Amino acid sequence: MKQEQPITIKNAIKKAIMNLITMMPMLLGVIGLIGIMQTYITPDMLSKLFGYGVVADIGTGTLMGAISAGNPAVSYIIAEELLTQGVTLYAVTAFILAWVTLGIVQLPAETSVFGLRFTLYKNILTLLSTMLVAYFTVITLQVFSS
Amino acid sequence: MKKGLEFKGLKFLYIVIIAYIVLFFIEQKNALLSLQKALDIFYQLLPIFLFIILIMTLINYFLRPKQIIKHFGKESGAKGVIYALLAGIISHGPMYAWYGMIQELREQGAKDSLLITFFYARAIKIPMLPFMLGIFGLAFTLILSFYILLFAVIQGVVMDWLEE
Repeated sequence: MKQEQPITIKNAIKKAIMNLITMMPMLLGVIGLIGIMQTYITPDMLSKLFGYGVVADIGTGTLMGAISAGNPAVSYIIAEELLTQGVTLYAVTAFILAWVTLGIVQLPAETSVFGLRFTLYKNILTLLSTMLVAYFTVITLQVFSS
Repeated sequence: MKKGLEFKGLKFLYIVIIAYIVLFFIEQKNALLSLQKALDIFYQLLPIFLFIILIMTLINYFLRPKQIIKHFGKESGAKGVIYALLAGIISHGPMYAWYGMIQELREQGAKDSLLITFFYARAIKIPMLPFMLGIFGLAFTLILSFYILLFAVIQGVVMDWLEE
């Protein structure tokens, strides 16, 4: 049986840096794609897609969050704007949650790193959870508020 | 023969570069705007990259396969779930920045179900909590955080079941 080699702090740093360097093309690709998405998908475009019932709004919110990307703070700012424009809390909750949990632009990179099976399971579970969490959060909030 | 660096996502990067070149010829203004936005994101990520190198160094140095398997491996039990939740909550930066480290953990024997739990628990962003509180209020923030953690655990359980 192969003996595990002791690792020095220098080797640990080198390994960490090399690992990040090998990921750089994928990271730069995702960042580049996010730049394009942020240019073409505006909050105004998003708000026109909501207002068709709880299930549809949660679905749309999830989808919109999944195709958007960037700092979560940006999603909160957009969410606040959407609420102001009368979009339901169901949709907005799904939107901000999908923003940080799902990433359609990251899917090719995710598949290349983890493989198709893991990526598929992860994203299906995340999609379903995000929709359910959005629904239960608003329902629970309504129960506590009443 | 010595193995060279194995870059990940090269084809994907080439496709994005081609998209920018095409966009530049079609809509030069938007191509430059997209590039500027991408550069802004890259600069914002630089400190996070340093943080990730630090975390990965600590993991490489302190966590050996046996230790990782103990916390994230097949026999980790409830303790592994708690570790996965905590790791998810305290981790920073976008999800894709963590792919390398997570894949390394997988190769060292970490359970997929715990990694799924980790990924979903990342939806709780501690640095963003004051911002969320300001917009949505305390009740919403607490309820949402509770359900995120609950469903992070549920996802792990379902993943375990799928893998059986």
